Amino acid sequence: MIGALLATSLVGSVAAWPIGQRLGRRASGWVMASLPVALFTAFLRLAPAIETGQTLNEGWAWAPSLGIELTLRLDGFALLFCLLITGIGALVLIYAGAYLSEQPRRDRARFHALILLFMTAMLGAVLADNLVLLFVFWEATSVLSFLLIGFDASSATARRSALMALRVTAGGGLALLGSIILIGAALDSYSMTEVVARAPELARSPMIVPIMAGLFIGAFTKSAQFPFHFWLPNAMQAPTPASAYLHSATMVKLGIYLLARFEPVIGSVPFGRDTLIAVALVTMLVGAYQAVRAENFKAVLAYSTVASLGILVMLVGLDGPMASVAMVGFILAHALYKATLFFCAGTVLHATGLSKLRQMGGLARFLPITAVAATMASLSMAGLPPFFGFISKEFLFEAQIRSSWNAAPMAVAILVNAVIVGVAGVVTLRPFFMGRGTVREVRHREVFELLAGPVILSIVGLVISLEPAWIDRAVLGPAVAAVYGGPVEMKIGLWHGLTPMLALSALVVGIGALLFIFWTPLHRRLRRESVLDRYEAEHAYDALLRGVQALASRTAKLAGGELRTHLWVIAASAGAFLVWGLIAGGASVRLPADVGSALLAGPAAVALVGLAGGVAATRARSLLATMIAVGLAGLVAALVFLMNGAPDLALTQFAVESLVVVLLTVVLFVMPLHAPPTRTRRERTVDAALSIGFAALLFVVLLDMGAAPQHLVVTSFFAERSYIEAFGRNVVNVILVDFRGLDTLGETAVIALSAVIAWSLLGPRQAHEESAEIPAGRSPFILAFTSPIFFWLLIVLSIVILLRGHHEIGGGFVGGLTAALAFALVSLASGTERARQKLRLHPLALAGGGVLLAVLSGLPGLLRDGDFLRHLWFDATVFGVHVKQGTTLVFDVGVYAAVLGAVLAFLFGFRREAAR
Amino acid sequence: MSAIYALVAAGLFGCGLYLVLSRHLVRVLLGLSLVTTAVNLMLFQAGRIGSVQPPLIRAGEDRLQQSADPLPQALVLTAIVIGLALTVVLAAIALRAYRAHGTLSSADIDSAARLGDPHAQDGRDDR
Repeated sequence: MIGALLATSLVGSVAAWPIGQRLGRRASGWVMASLPVALFTAFLRLAPAIETGQTLNEGWAWAPSLGIELTLRLDGFALLFCLLITGIGALVLIYAGAYLSEQPRRDRARFHALILLFMTAMLGAVLADNLVLLFVFWEATSVLSFLLIGFDASSATARRSALMALRVTAGGGLALLGSIILIGAALDSYSMTEVVARAPELARSPMIVPIMAGLFIGAFTKSAQFPFHFWLPNAMQAPTPASAYLHSATMVKLGIYLLARFEPVIGSVPFGRDTLIAVALVTMLVGAYQAVRAENFKAVLAYSTVASLGILVMLVGLDGPMASVAMVGFILAHALYKATLFFCAGTVLHATGLSKLRQMGGLARFLPITAVAATMASLSMAGLPPFFGFISKEFLFEAQIRSSWNAAPMAVAILVNAVIVGVAGVVTLRPFFMGRGTVREVRHREVFELLAGPVILSIVGLVISLEPAWIDRAVLGPAVAAVYGGPVEMKIGLWHGLTPMLALSALVVGIGALLFIFWTPLHRRLRRESVLDRYEAEHAYDALLRGVQALASRTAKLAGGELRTHLWVIAASAGAFLVWGLIAGGASVRLPADVGSALLAGPAAVALVGLAGGVAATRARSLLATMIAVGLAGLVAALVFLMNGAPDLALTQFAVESLVVVLLTVVLFVMPLHAPPTRTRRERTVDAALSIGFAALLFVVLLDMGAAPQHLVVTSFFAERSYIEAFGRNVVNVILVDFRGLDTLGETAVIALSAVIAWSLLGPRQAHEESAEIPAGRSPFILAFTSPIFFWLLIVLSIVILLRGHHEIGGGFVGGLTAALAFALVSLASGTERARQKLRLHPLALAGGGVLLAVLSGLPGLLRDGDFLRHLWFDATVFGVHVKQGTTLVFDVGVYAAVLGAVLAFLFGFRREAAR
Repeated sequence: MSAIYALVAAGLFGCGLYLVLSRHLVRVLLGLSLVTTAVNLMLFQAGRIGSVQPPLIRAGEDRLQQSADPLPQALVLTAIVIGLALTVVLAAIALRAYRAHGTLSSADIDSAARLGDPHAQDGRDDR
């Protein structure tokens, strides 16, 4: 059931993109919201089961050998998050439909799809029980947050903020991964349930310090704790609906979620709770301080969110059952009122085009319902009755009083909560009610879609505090029980009598009211104060980035900006390693066994001709001469193969050399053939010295290799099994298509891809193609006359080579090259257009089809034995003829087609480009 | 004989390296093609020079008798074709560079440099 919900969410989010592009501005938000609404209802229907204390578990094997399973777990705490994620998600989508109504349809669809994908990732993260699975979803939320912050990719600020958020949160995610792997190593399990159950055992692990460090860094970066908090205010570059969803209601709570889940572990480590509370207190103070200083509407909200997240981390750190109650309550309260305020802020920004609070005033006249919703949310944020925020603040103080901690957290909490009260006043009274006439006109009035979210959320915040029975029983109770590890007696209600908590609440509101009254002078005073600015963590981030770049430019100098310098470094260091290896090996070079025996004059002469070709290539100043000299060396290589028992290689090399000549001459004839020296005399001398030195080293190494004893384990395996198991007599071909078929498949794909690259690099599509024709009369008569005959001869030959490849010399590679030669001949004789007509297909289609065929040939084996590219054989007598054929032939035909298509793509591409 | 083949393979590698160190794009790609040939010869020699018998199982037998080593041959065979693809893609790049810049000397091609400093900072936010 949970798995099905998650899968529905994923499929729906992926489908949202294309669907969204077809929807108009009014429909899009509503249609998109149907998915989260459906999921919300489904989770709500699961609530009664969870209420009874049940935990729903589901799991599938994923990588069992690594202990990684797709295990999902729905308990009370996860359910609370799921309801928040889907419920607020639906409102965000509706809101975004109107908020982005002026954007092009494509962008709106993109935004909706990203939000839905984020929702899926979030659901996965809170439902995952396997820690590796949790990590996958965790990082997915980071990536989606990056995409949403950088939604307006044309803005440099948005790009910078997006990258910052990604670096911080995804980097923290990597720390978390390290921690998870260490946990897996310590307990031999990745199941969160099991890890928590064995918390004392984990706490005794020698790796507990790095484990906790990774866990803390992961959670602190995600939940914007000091000193990683700076990405969150910058993330306000995201469109406001995304800020409301990711950066206040859901994603930033993921770190809290993780810490709360691991609370038993944190509690059993001596430094665990202390660390949490220390970091939380600093975060709360920094958030509150910056909230007073911030000027932008969204920035004020963002810093107050940082402070609130600090409160949540503190609540995880405090011990006692009330801390769990307070945390769960505050997660819900904060999500409700902060999302509402972000919605209202978005409406204000959208309607006025202003972003600084000081420019706003008297907006209640234009946006009356928004003003009411903002007021209700602010009252909840300030912790005033009868809103849910009041109840959650009572819990907060009760948790502090009942915990074993001293007064420091209490004092900070009072101060920070007072600032939050001040913020609540500032973000509501200032823009909406005070300063009438500051804003004279707005771009638009309220529309229903922009109101649905804030109104519903603020009413929910009121209703659940007036009628707390249901939410307490169905959602909060099970959530607290899941976090605390057992049921907790709690009374949710507005009136608890005259308690210390009530007195503290009153104190906070009193200080907050004073702060609000003196807000402007305080704000101005703090803005002038730049001491803390200088030590802000963001500067450390910038300095770190600058440091990395400086280091990079230093290493870049080492390897130069020029290819030549790079190669020098590579060749010289490779040479140095060879020398080192030789010396370390005792500086003695063994000689091959046949060194003393007489040389065979013929083969020796042929080989030396090849070397002469190489030397000539370095001396020639004409590119044509260089190419011919290089070709000479290639032909000699082919002869060496032929003379030493490798006719397959010889055939391939011959075909390749011919094709290189055909292809490169096309290129060379549009370039200047004379290649003037590009190196100074001195450079040439040192290059020659390096080359000769390197060659000498290689010579020594090759001699030594030739004398080393040979390990024939692999070779003898192939020699013995080729015919018995793979029914092929040509061992080279059997290795290629059968034993190492997957490698060959990869290589075939590389060839096809290089054809795609060359094709896209070369020339305009279809333009001027007619001019590639060789004008009549210019083509040699005999060639033109005989080429059709040779064409068909070569094609037939190539097919023969292909078909007999499994038993005799030949195979798909040589066959494809031979067929390509046939087309090259036609192209030379009668023009490219003629050759393309003969092919009929697009060369890239042929190449792609070939790769596809090779992939398909592996499927029968996969379906029968679960083993991709295990070739099956058909062995029967049909009409008296004995037929024995395997899927190897299909594979080889695929290779043939891929090679042919790729080479023709090169050929046609070059001819087309040359004709421009 | 293996000493001669070792000399040729190493020598061809040296010649290829000398060409690759040039700044002329086409000489670089021809040099790379030479290096490919040399490396293929080295790989081939890893199977030792000796038998002239191709690695084919004779009719009537079910396992390979004395012959050249099939394993390096299988490696080299695909390497030859990949080498062709590499050479050709490089030629396409060289051709495009020549069309765009009118020169084949990599020292004179500065389109990447003209894009500006990759480390330039972009604007700060307006909090």
